[in-house]
This record gives sequence, structure tokens and C-alpha cells, in this order.
Amino acid sequence: MNHSSKPETFADQVHAIPGGEHLELCYSCGTCVSKCMIQQKVEPEYNPRRLLRLVMMDMREEAFKSPTTWLCSACDLCYSACPQEVHISSVIGAVKQLAVEAGHESPLETVSVDESLCSGCGICVMVCPYEAPHLVEKEIDGEMDRVSEVDTNKCMGCGTCVAACPLGAIARPGVSNKEVRAQIDVPEVDGAPRLVVFVCDWCLRADDDVTLLESYPENVRVIHIPCTGRIDPEMALMALRSGIDGVLVCGCAPGECHYKRGTHVSTCKISLLNRMLDQMSIGDGRVRFVQIGTQDRGRVRNEVDATLKHLAPQKKEAV
Amino acid sequence: MAKANGKPKLAFYWAASCGGCEITVAELGMRLVEVGELVDIVFWPCVMDFKYSDVEALHHDEIDVCFFNGAIRNSESEHIANLLRDKSRLLVAFGSCSHTGGIPALANFYDRESILARAYDTAPSLDDSRGTRPTPSSEVAEGKIDIPVFYEHVKTLAQTVDVDYFMPGCPPVVDQVWNVFQTILTGELPKRGSVIGADGKTNCDVCPRKKGESGLRITEFKRPHEVDLDPDLCFLAQGVICCGPATRAGCGLPCINGNMPCRGCYGPPDDVVDQGAKLISAIGALVDTDEPEKLQEILDTIADPAGLGYRFGLADSILSELKYK
Repeated sequence: MNHSSKPETFADQVHAIPGGEHLELCYSCGTCVSKCMIQQKVEPEYNPRRLLRLVMMDMREEAFKSPTTWLCSACDLCYSACPQEVHISSVIGAVKQLAVEAGHESPLETVSVDESLCSGCGICVMVCPYEAPHLVEKEIDGEMDRVSEVDTNKCMGCGTCVAACPLGAIARPGVSNKEVRAQIDVPEVDGAPRLVVFVCDWCLRADDDVTLLESYPENVRVIHIPCTGRIDPEMALMALRSGIDGVLVCGCAPGECHYKRGTHVSTCKISLLNRMLDQMSIGDGRVRFVQIGTQDRGRVRNEVDATLKHLAPQKKEAV
Repeated sequence: MAKANGKPKLAFYWAASCGGCEITVAELGMRLVEVGELVDIVFWPCVMDFKYSDVEALHHDEIDVCFFNGAIRNSESEHIANLLRDKSRLLVAFGSCSHTGGIPALANFYDRESILARAYDTAPSLDDSRGTRPTPSSEVAEGKIDIPVFYEHVKTLAQTVDVDYFMPGCPPVVDQVWNVFQTILTGELPKRGSVIGADGKTNCDVCPRKKGESGLRITEFKRPHEVDLDPDLCFLAQGVICCGPATRAGCGLPCINGNMPCRGCYGPPDDVVDQGAKLISAIGALVDTDEPEKLQEILDTIADPAGLGYRFGLADSILSELKYK
């Protein structure tokens, strides 16, 4: 049989893209699906096993339209679980690349750049886990300027660049600076410590933990962010300045971040912020970052309680 | 601003400052002679012999423009700030110290007593400690001596009195000083409370260096003297912290052109509330490693995060607000 004379199949095309070559190793056990947070949290139709089957069965259009093609953020929780060691996110990435080449577009909420504010510093280019932004020279208000441009098919909407942009030139619907700041408003309730909890959309695996966050009294304000990469130390300081007693940031454990780098980014930012507060002799544990692992059911309650308990005596002193 | 009854009256004052702001004015050279012909200088203690009583003798708003450099450190600087505010139609915070606290405000990391103890007891140049402390008022054989009261912390001019305009820089660069003089003399001033003699965006907007590439990660921070710096590449891409991303443009990049990273003296750009926090929001996102346990080690290579982020702006920072509220 002469393989070269056969027309190129969809599987051949995926196979030819670096990362797509592991396609045939998949024997459709579905372990990947059981590990995947997207399937559990946002899209029941999301299913890497099925996507890989679609490719092998030459079902091109179905694969391009599958949410799996677009929603995978390459967190790679499935990779460590796969008995065949298929680097599934790379295979999905290869499918996505072909989909984009065929004219399909990402359905995700992505970031946009306000070119009149952008200074072209390139911080977003460097920090993005997905290589979505790049710098371009273009005419803005009649003058040539260097600004950031985002490939919306690569952007996963994590918001890491939104927080890193020094000029607030990047926004993502729902988590722009303005929208997040507007939520940093915690009323005084019976002298109880006022706490802001930033919680990553992915770190809480158990439904109980998610519903718990809705049950806190008004002195605990929960602000949902797509990823702790979105954390901006300036927002934490603004919260403290407004009289809020503490800021708790909940994110994923290292290696489990949904957007690859968010946990590392947040670790660094909160650590530097705490060093600055310590240098000013006003540290006292008011800003904390906790990393909640996949097995840490109920942990968020303990962390919120512990933070409130820690802040209570300080609150009394201040009064 | 030409006045019907004569030339506009100008005043210059220095509070807690180093004298660099006066030098930048002197750097105007022959242009200063030009300014001198157009205005009456009614108070400039660094350059000419004036007494505070000369200022006290002026009417309310008699000075057209007062350029005030230096931070508010003691009761004397506060007193003169109030006096000049009363006598001046326009009060301009001139330079980093009056704008955001400047170098003197780094003292806000410490409290008053530990600063005095260092100066009077433990400084290496002292032979012995006699536990001396400045006494605001003391009786001596010749009479009573009053000296200014040293405050708990350093404040900006605007934290002390109302300020009409802010001119950043340590010191403001001479071309911007000239621009501002001309703007003021022609009366074409922006909205009250604006920053003048600077631009809206950040230094990165005008920096010609090649920016870092996609996926660049810092695994070690270096100080400028520890590395042979590429003069054409972004400092951050070389692991050297540059405050350019969180610093207002307008200086003309003398440091960056001298192959030294920006230290942030032009203060935060519009819309940035806290310069240091914004800087670490950018820098923190650049750090990474495949071994998360090493993140702290990498961060420890930043010797002094708050000193870097607030080298010229500690008095104006949220950190100072939280500490001295």
C-alpha cells in the first residue's frame, strides 16, 4: 500500500503540526475528561477524548466547532493523568491552529487594548502565557506609534496582562480595572473585620465551596476573577486605604493553574507587596495569598475564618 | 501674565531638598537672564539675600507664581509653605520632593526616634553618644533659642497646603523648566491641579530600546553594576528593574540614554494611583521558573522592593497613608 498516494486526512494535518504527533496514542479511555475543570465548571460538552476521536475519524468541521478546540487553556492537568502520556493540550492546539487557518474564531471573552492609552512598553507581550499580544507600529491619531495588538484567537482571557499593564490600557469584559475597583466596597458590619476575598474562578473544585462564598455576611466581599494572575497590588492597597482590614487572594496550587502562570504571578506580586508592607512596618498579615489544591475541599472556609480571626484583634486596636 | 503695574512677581523656595532644583534653574544659563528681565524675583533664599520677613510683608496673593521645591520635613518648612501659599496666586510644587516626597521621604520607612538615634547616637562618625536630641526651644545664657520641630514623617507640599500645579523630576530637566516658565508667562495653563512640564504616558512610550519578546521570563534580578548592559535592549528584558513602565514621560530619558534604568523621579502617570504597587504588578508578572519553590529565591534578588518602587514617591504612596493615617 502506498501511503503517499492517499489524500491527506485531517489526522495527517494535525499530526504534521508540532505537538499534534501524539494523536494516535490516544485510546479514548477518557481519563482526561475526568481531570478537566472546564468540563466540570463551564461546558459539559467539553471533551478532549471525543475531540481526538473526531480528528481520527476525519470529522473536520465538527472538530472546528467543538468547544473543546477553543476552551482548552493548556493547564495540562490531563497530561499528568493520561496513561498514554499524550500531551493533549498540544494536540488540541494543533486542531485550533487548523481551525483558525480555516477562518474560525475563538468564542471566548478576550482582552482588548485601548491604543490611546497604550505606551507600547511590551510588558503584556512578555507576561502573556499564550503569546497573544505583540507590538505593532501603526498610525494613531495621525501619528505613527508603537502599540500592543492582541491575537484574540490565542487570548484565553486570564487577565494577567490586564493587571500587569501599568497604564490600565488593557481590559477584559467583567474584570477591567474599573469593574474590579467598583466591587472593592465593603460596608461596616457590627465592628467585624472587613475582608475582600479575590477568588480565582478555577481553584474551588467542590460545589459546597462555591456556594459557601455566596453565604458570607456583608463584611466579607467576594470578588471573582478569572485567574490570580489578574491580581494587582495597587487594588489591594486601594482596598486597605478605603478602610478594609484585609485582602485574601485564593488561587490554584502550583502546577494546577488553569492559565499556566497565574499562581506564580500572584505568588510573586503578593510576596513583593508584603515585603513592601514589611519595609514600612505595616505588614502584619493583612494581605494573604493561599493556594488551594485540587484535593483541598473545604479549605476556603478555613482560610477565610483564619484571616477574619487574625484581623479581629487588629480591628479592635484600631477602634 | 503681564501686569498693568509692572512685571509679574516670582518666588522660589527650598524646603527639605538637596539644592538640585535650584541648580536646574541655574542651568537655564543665559535664558535665566531673559526671565530675569521679564519678572521680579521677590524671594529666592538660595540665590539672593531675602528674609522671611520680606515675604511676611507682602500682601495676600501678591506673588504671582511661587516655585516651591523640597518636601515638608519640619515645622519651618510647614510654616513657610503656609506663608507662601497665602502670598502666592499660583503655587507650583517644583521637583520630586515637593511633588511626591522625593529622596527625603525615604525616611518614612523609619520613625522619628530611630532617625534621631541614628543621627545622634549610632552613626559611625560619632565618637560617643551623649543622648543628645534637638530641643525645639531652649534657654541659654544669651537668651531663648528656637529651632524647627522635626516631624514624625515627611509630607508632600500638597499634603500640607493647596497646590495649583505639579512639576515632577529630580530635578525637573532644564528644557521642561524653560517650557513651564514660558507657559506661565503666556498664561496658557492647563486645568488647576495638573502636572505640568511632563507628558501623559510613560517613559516606555518614548524609549527607543528594543522590547522584550513573547514568553520572556526573569529568573534572576540584577543590579545595574552587576551586568554588562546592552544599550539597545529593554532593561527588564535584561533582568534589571527599570521604573520606566510606571513613570511619567517628559524627562527626555537622560538616565536611559546613559545606559542606566529609569529610577522613577517623574512620578506616576495619569491614572496610576500608586507608582510602586503598579511597578511590582508589572515586574511580578515577569518572574517565572519551572521550579515554583525557587520563586522566592528569585524575588530575594530584589534587594529593596519598596525603595525601588518609591525611590521618589514614598510620601505620596498608599504605604505612607496607611502608616501615618
